[in-house]
Amino acid sequence: MTTRSLGQFYPVSSPVHALDPRAKILATAVFVAGLFLIGSTAGLLFVAAALVALVALSRIPAGTFLRLLRPVLFIVALTILFQVLFSREGVTLLEWGFFEVRSGGLRQGFFLALRILLLVSSAGLLTATTAPVALADGIEDLLSPMKRVRFPAHEVAMMMTIALRFIPTLGEEAEKVKGAQAARGADFSEGGPLRRARSLVPVLVPLTVGAFRRADDLAEAMESRGYRGGEGRTRYRELRFRKRDALALGVTLLVLLVGILL
Amino acid sequence: MRLELKDVRHVYAPGTPFEVEALRGVSLAIEPGEVLGIVGGTGSGKSTLVQHMNLLLVPTSGEVLADGVDARSLEKRELRRKVGLVFQFPESALFAPTVEEDVAFAPRQLALGEEEVRERVRESLRALRIWDLAARSPFALSGGEKRRAAIAGVLAMRPEVLILDEPTAGLDPAAREELLALIVNLRQAGISVVLVSHDLDEVAEVADRVCALHEGGVRALGTPAEVFYGEPAQAPATVRVASLLKESKPEIGDPVRFEETLAALKALPGV
Repeated sequence: MTTRSLGQFYPVSSPVHALDPRAKILATAVFVAGLFLIGSTAGLLFVAAALVALVALSRIPAGTFLRLLRPVLFIVALTILFQVLFSREGVTLLEWGFFEVRSGGLRQGFFLALRILLLVSSAGLLTATTAPVALADGIEDLLSPMKRVRFPAHEVAMMMTIALRFIPTLGEEAEKVKGAQAARGADFSEGGPLRRARSLVPVLVPLTVGAFRRADDLAEAMESRGYRGGEGRTRYRELRFRKRDALALGVTLLVLLVGILL
Repeated sequence: MRLELKDVRHVYAPGTPFEVEALRGVSLAIEPGEVLGIVGGTGSGKSTLVQHMNLLLVPTSGEVLADGVDARSLEKRELRRKVGLVFQFPESALFAPTVEEDVAFAPRQLALGEEEVRERVRESLRALRIWDLAARSPFALSGGEKRRAAIAGVLAMRPEVLILDEPTAGLDPAAREELLALIVNLRQAGISVVLVSHDLDEVAEVADRVCALHEGGVRALGTPAEVFYGEPAQAPATVRVASLLKESKPEIGDPVRFEETLAALKALPGV
């Protein structure tokens, strides 16, 4: 709970949060694919404006959302740098020994950086506005046609749900074990990489043991409550695809289309 | 060592929707050689509070003083050696192939000679009465044995203050009695003990003073009798009986000892 990073659910109520997870997953998939069809900077800027409006609608504070993007800033910076240094298009703007900065490189760097930011933002918006369980339910539904070819859609979704559910639990457990070992004088920030890796052994061993014990407990708890896999299983929260979900998908397609044409 | 907390506040995850104020200005001192009991309901801030005593958690505001000196200015490892903290369910942090190795982990971090490390391991295992388990794998022990191995692992640093967070949770009555006896022994050896517990009876039995936490603040602080007499419905059975007897038997001590109360009861006419 101390660190917030890419892909963390932000629990507020908003029109975006309220959409059917299937609509959001589909819209995000279409959006990501569509980004690669947009060839002009103007098109990307138009789509970006639409995404900014959507973030505003989702009631996620701008600062929090921008913090979600921090992990990819390094890649974005690297992309711009490479484009600027190695592109040989357009007029020369600056020359410094072997290096020259050309207008084409700048334009191309900006274009690619924008595309990466849009990719990450759209995926980030999906996970920030959709509770992990709803996300897994949505994926299960979307994958269920593949059950005909014996694809275990329910089992995959259940595994995802469990994994997502236990990430914070494991995180807490790791904090606790680290605390307990720190109380015994362990120091995780001292020495070179090898020494630091070695200092993690007293944390990783109890964590692994704990994870297996937890898995056993969970399997037993599920079994004692009659879990038998996906066959004939109903849901506590039924997903309902409403008009507004269709509308959201329609608007996404429209925005992309305009972006591609621009 | 005298450990003092001054107006300690702690806020988890500040600036997010998950923000929680776990401690709201706690002031409290642990006097040298005393047993301080900390009681309070789930979520009252007990575990957060004790993690401030060795600065595993740093207060959002307020300060922690060790013998009058700001604990933040001390070397962390030295502070954590002097203030030994045993977490709740400490057995979940056992990791070494043998109990002996696990208990040796903390003294090894102190850069002591091998002979000194062995000596401290022996001493701790004896204090916890698990000397015979030294060569066993900690993962193959019973719940109570694991708990004792984990406590030995902290005791091996020879702390001046030992903090036990719910040390008797989930133990059988015999193991619980042994742990309480250990606390009494440590106190006799001059080590201060902080005992966090849900079990008011055991706190009343061994603690010199009790601090009752409620929603992150100190609700009451004093001797077990002072703290518990005020709330008869929740007071430990021993304390309730003692408070009834006290009028005719002023010699009943404070802290209330079970044996004393029992003796006073037996001395009543017609019993």
